[in-house]
Amino acid sequence: MSQPELVKVTIDGVEVQVPKGLGLVETAAAAGIEIPVFCYEPRLGSPIGACRMCLVEVEGMGKLQAGCTMTATDGLVVRTAAVSERAADGQEATLEFILVNHPLDCPVCDKGGECPLQDLTFRWGPGNTRMRFPKRTLDKPIPVSPLIALDRERCILCYRCTRFSEGVAEDGQLIAKNRGALSVIATFEDEPYRGKFSGNVIELCPVGALTSTTYRFDARPWEIQNVPSVCGMCPVGCNITATTREGRVKRILSRNHPEVDGGWLCDKGRFAYGHLGAQDRIVDPLQRDRPRYRELGWDEALDEAERMLRAAGGRIVTALSGSETVEMAYALGKLLRQGLGAHSAVLPEGVSHSLDSVRAPLSSIAEADIVLILGDEPVAERAPIVDLWVKLARRNGAEILYSLDEERARAAERAVLIWSGDCDEDTDVTALAQSLGCPGFHLPRTANGRGVADAWAAAADAEAENPEPIGLLVVSGDEALADPYVRAMAEQAESVLAIAMFRRLATPLADLVLPGTSYLERDGTYVNLEGRLQRLRRAAIPPAPDELAWLARLAERFGVELSPYPSQLFEEVSAIAYGGRPYGEVGEEAELPSPVPAGQVQGPGPQNRPGETGGPDGDARDEGEQPPSVPAGQVQGPGPRTRPGETVEGDGLRLVMYRPLFSGPAVERVPELQFQRPEPVVELSAADAERLGVRAGSEVTVRSNGTSVQLRARLAEDLTPGAARIAQEHAGGLEQRVEIVP
Amino acid sequence: MAELTVLKGADERDLTRLDEYRAVGGYDALERARGMTPQAVIDEINEAELRGRGGAGFPMGRKLSLVPPAERRAGPAYVVANADESEPGAFKDREIMRLVPHRFIEGCLIAAHAIQAKNVFIYIRGEYLAEYLVLEAAVEEARLAEILGDVDVFVHRGAGAYICGEESAMLESLEGERGQPRPRPPFPPVAGLYMQPTLVNNVQTIASVPAIIEMGPERYKELGAESAPGTVVYSLSGNVDRPGNFELPLGTTLRELIFEHGHGVADGRALKAIIPGGSSVPVFTPDQLDVPLDFDAVQAAGSYLGSAAIIVVDDRACMVQLALRAEKFYMHESCGKCTPCREGTRWLVQLLQKIEDGDGTQADLDLVETVCDRIEGKSLCALGDFAVWCVGSYVRKFRDEFQRHVDEGGCPFGGTSSIEGVLAPSDQHAHTAMAEVPA
Amino acid sequence: MAAPDFVAEVHRLRARYPQGRSAIMGALRLAQERHNGWLPPEALQEVADAMEVTPAQAAAVASFYDMFNLQPVGRHIVEVCTNLSCALVGAQQVVDALEAELGIPPGETSDDDEVTFRLIECAGGCGYAPVVVVDGRYREPTKPEDVPALVEEIRGG
Ligand SMILES: Cc1cc2nc3c(=O)[nH]c(=O)nc-3n(C[C@H](O)[C@H](O)[C@H](O)COP(=O)(O)O)c2cc1C
Ligand code: SF4
Ligand code: FES
Repeated sequence: MSQPELVKVTIDGVEVQVPKGLGLVETAAAAGIEIPVFCYEPRLGSPIGACRMCLVEVEGMGKLQAGCTMTATDGLVVRTAAVSERAADGQEATLEFILVNHPLDCPVCDKGGECPLQDLTFRWGPGNTRMRFPKRTLDKPIPVSPLIALDRERCILCYRCTRFSEGVAEDGQLIAKNRGALSVIATFEDEPYRGKFSGNVIELCPVGALTSTTYRFDARPWEIQNVPSVCGMCPVGCNITATTREGRVKRILSRNHPEVDGGWLCDKGRFAYGHLGAQDRIVDPLQRDRPRYRELGWDEALDEAERMLRAAGGRIVTALSGSETVEMAYALGKLLRQGLGAHSAVLPEGVSHSLDSVRAPLSSIAEADIVLILGDEPVAERAPIVDLWVKLARRNGAEILYSLDEERARAAERAVLIWSGDCDEDTDVTALAQSLGCPGFHLPRTANGRGVADAWAAAADAEAENPEPIGLLVVSGDEALADPYVRAMAEQAESVLAIAMFRRLATPLADLVLPGTSYLERDGTYVNLEGRLQRLRRAAIPPAPDELAWLARLAERFGVELSPYPSQLFEEVSAIAYGGRPYGEVGEEAELPSPVPAGQVQGPGPQNRPGETGGPDGDARDEGEQPPSVPAGQVQGPGPRTRPGETVEGDGLRLVMYRPLFSGPAVERVPELQFQRPEPVVELSAADAERLGVRAGSEVTVRSNGTSVQLRARLAEDLTPGAARIAQEHAGGLEQRVEIVP
Repeated sequence: MAELTVLKGADERDLTRLDEYRAVGGYDALERARGMTPQAVIDEINEAELRGRGGAGFPMGRKLSLVPPAERRAGPAYVVANADESEPGAFKDREIMRLVPHRFIEGCLIAAHAIQAKNVFIYIRGEYLAEYLVLEAAVEEARLAEILGDVDVFVHRGAGAYICGEESAMLESLEGERGQPRPRPPFPPVAGLYMQPTLVNNVQTIASVPAIIEMGPERYKELGAESAPGTVVYSLSGNVDRPGNFELPLGTTLRELIFEHGHGVADGRALKAIIPGGSSVPVFTPDQLDVPLDFDAVQAAGSYLGSAAIIVVDDRACMVQLALRAEKFYMHESCGKCTPCREGTRWLVQLLQKIEDGDGTQADLDLVETVCDRIEGKSLCALGDFAVWCVGSYVRKFRDEFQRHVDEGGCPFGGTSSIEGVLAPSDQHAHTAMAEVPA
Repeated sequence: MAAPDFVAEVHRLRARYPQGRSAIMGALRLAQERHNGWLPPEALQEVADAMEVTPAQAAAVASFYDMFNLQPVGRHIVEVCTNLSCALVGAQQVVDALEAELGIPPGETSDDDEVTFRLIECAGGCGYAPVVVVDGRYREPTKPEDVPALVEEIRGG
């Protein structure tokens, strides 16, 4: 790329050199001068110049100009309100007009204290009002959805929310209705704003018009603390700020990491924190006392855990969730592998470290000219923010291909490969990306599957053996507990020790349940799908000691030296897996290391690959050349999949069942999120729909061997012919091949 | 009688018919233009100094030159004819489309040739149903006669929104969005419809083009004022004895227009005020009757020729009521995008209503002027300016009358004003679903 | 679900523009004609389906323009311009006469759903004022004394 031309701009007498075409707001910022804005938000696309807050005087132009719509040109001379009386008067006029119909109900407004309108009025606005008429009053607040309340009186019509809906999430749900002074923000017929990213409009709103129903009236800005952390709900690892009050999480906000999330969050990441206070949250250790469970004190619980571990005599299998921190997975691994020689683990999914040789920041997707998306699952369901990057790429002119067109991909200047499916032996994303000469991303299922694999491997390097029968199954985390594969294994294990947050899945499966914590309650690190190591910070105090604390105590009993501190544990892992990077260096805005040359990829190689147990029926899978992979949470179990683009033989369609974004133990426990669960639809490619005579929107019967479900048909551009896609919860007992009857 | 260029021949023949139009030399100019290079066509229009008739008076030739020529652009260019005529007082484009649709189409095709465009969109206001049908029929006739060549002319109907006459709002609307103006730059000739170079011109501007090509810029310039050659169709309305459209040389004085062509103020009443360019421009008083109606002269006299729509107001009208009625229009038509226009127009209506009702204080009256000042020059498009030019000038020029409303605690007309109690569409909002609930 | 002929017509309209989205106003107008002169939610849904936009997007556009009716209207629509030129020559007297003759104030629809009566902004008939528009056709000028016959014609027709 050529160097952008530099131009000289003078703002309030300060000269700055900036790239030609830089926005004036940014240019002023470079000169250390603020141009106040409401509607301007570059992440929403080109500026619209609506609010007129940014008026400035420009030499050679008679009228005041909206600074937000101007760009740097050579010799431009600008005077802002700080020095220009006309500009100051213009801004005061804008604020006066904004406030003419604003209710000024700041004392009962959630935005109070962190409101741009308050702040800018304080600095630039009139001190009193000359408005003596009844203000426009409207019904308030009205629900935009169970998650979002809209106060139309407070709305200043900056159109940030609607531009987000139209131009970023591209869901077209939130709109402006009517004209002029009667304009209001609305959804169609007051239906709820359904969409994976709706909550972002709350943060975008510069006033208290769009507020979160889960945060409303819960805290005032001066009573809260903001904890910078990372979301643990999916492998993207969006950077978040957890707002807490008295040790409780009150809301989650985005903490813009320009390479990872661009400042957006999905609604799961934003709203699922409610699971921390779930009714069935386990706060004390529980022991099976048939037919019920009884609560144990911690000493007693550790005695019991020790007894179970010893009794298994090394015949222990550990099932991991992929939501453990690197440190926790390492602690578990060290205790079980080094202390007890139990090397067998069920990892949540296959991960490939070779991806590090083709890695790039997620933001690079936006600059691609061809985005190749392979795999059957919807990107947004697995890694929602990736979907926003893909949409941005398309708006930037990229072509999105859903089947492998190697020729086009190779011809492209900047192609990107995204694999949205499980990473099993048939799919070598790295090799494909390498052969195309482009960055490659795999979208795993779990938030920290990669970090967990790293940590488990770092804990010991002995070969796993398959215990037969399983003496003790250690299940770490509610996601692993929800996995039918793990549950089937538990049925056959002599005893089960579970680490869980919630009662429902842990009981009656486990003999001993130790309270688990959430990512919002932990300190530690995660590795996201890019291979970026990021730092989690404890935002909420867990209701029970965290895993590291009691694991350390338990380890003592087996003579294993295990620190309860994430920093120390990390350093041990890091020495093996992360090139000795110190904990303190995993900063607030974590960097992505450059791609590792192929062949020098770090992480578990064939020698120190963690063991893997066989399935419940005991047929151990081949050790050796393939990456460890037992898919979790997938009903059909492991098995070869059809490569996209391959034609299907025989009758019917291949069923693709996916785990929807809005599902899982955390989502289930947040009532406000239930309306976001997937609609009962079956997705088909346009070609199949036409062949089968299915009209989009019509009801169809999907059936296989005896079972059938009624679903609405929808066309999916990202689905290759030959497949029918259904969210797990709507797939009933359907099997791998289905027939569709209009 | 001076020579006509736009409505020429329409009083003698039915020029909506292709054969009739052809009989008076119709489409000869197109043929001539098509035999010229695009640049030569632009040069002629430039030389003729044809200024836009839609309001701003921008030279059409200059606009044409701003469109990158075909060899310097990657994509297509478009011609969009602004037939949204909604300025209160203006009804000339309607007459042009109804009487000489082919001349207008011919102008569109010449413009398309000049910028090498293959698509012409005519954005006609939705209310003009009869005119739409005439135009559609004429386009169809021209198509069948293979006059269009490889140019597609499409008549797109608006649906009732004054703001869509503003060129960037029109383009948004034409793209299927809410008709809200865009920030400019980029201007349409650079990035207009679908972000491609686009020529937007008023119906009358375009309908003037065939005459220029036909008679040549030299002869064209002999018509009209020195600074603004050509003829223009003046729309004369209000309290005038013979209202209507009059095509006259640019620079005709107000006096000649009103008293000769319009036969004077109706019912022998006294003249009180003249709005020279559609309701949006500052008002004139009777002492300004000798201002020649051309762009520069009207501007020098403190107003704008705008769309050359002259509204005559006689002595029975209360200026506060007139201001209130005008402001209700701008409030109703404000698109709602930018703050000063959306909030300011509503506030002005409230203030003017209070003054008209006799409840206004001195502070309210002063505030009217302040609010006008605070809107002017700060809105996203000129609608905000329009909304205050009218009211602001009424207050300035008829200060006494406004003052008496305050001092006497009511309308000095005592119910006898010619526009007493006139309701506006915005007064009906109380009946619609999106009601404003009073506090 | 939208009738196939409606969808086909909208698709034809879309094809007339370089970008199909431009056809939304035309599609709304067609839908309004098929739904007794207004756009109930089903109509907006049909437009959305045919245009491949969301119903919210269709509503956003429809609610911007005065000529799209989002409330039911009568079989006939009588509109009076009361902008400056019409007002100056007695538009309000025409409004009053219509109110008396129709028995409803402007902004309302008669109980028998025959007539919707409303005010409009400048219709571009200023030289032939006052302007009354009946079902889209201009009646210029209409004087208060013309109103009884006009109403009879509407009610009868
Ligand atoms: C609020 C507003 C309304 C306008 N309405 C019209 C209109 O109805 N017809 C028109 O030709 N121009 C109208 N204009 C002017 C157009 O923006 C544009 O300048 C014009 O169409 C250019 O054509 P011309 O150069 O041939 O005059 C309006 C401008 C504004 C700000
Ligand atoms: S609701 Fe908030 S974000 Fe949306 S337009 Fe109003 S002020 Fe802007
Ligand atoms: S920030 Fe520039 S107009 Fe809103």
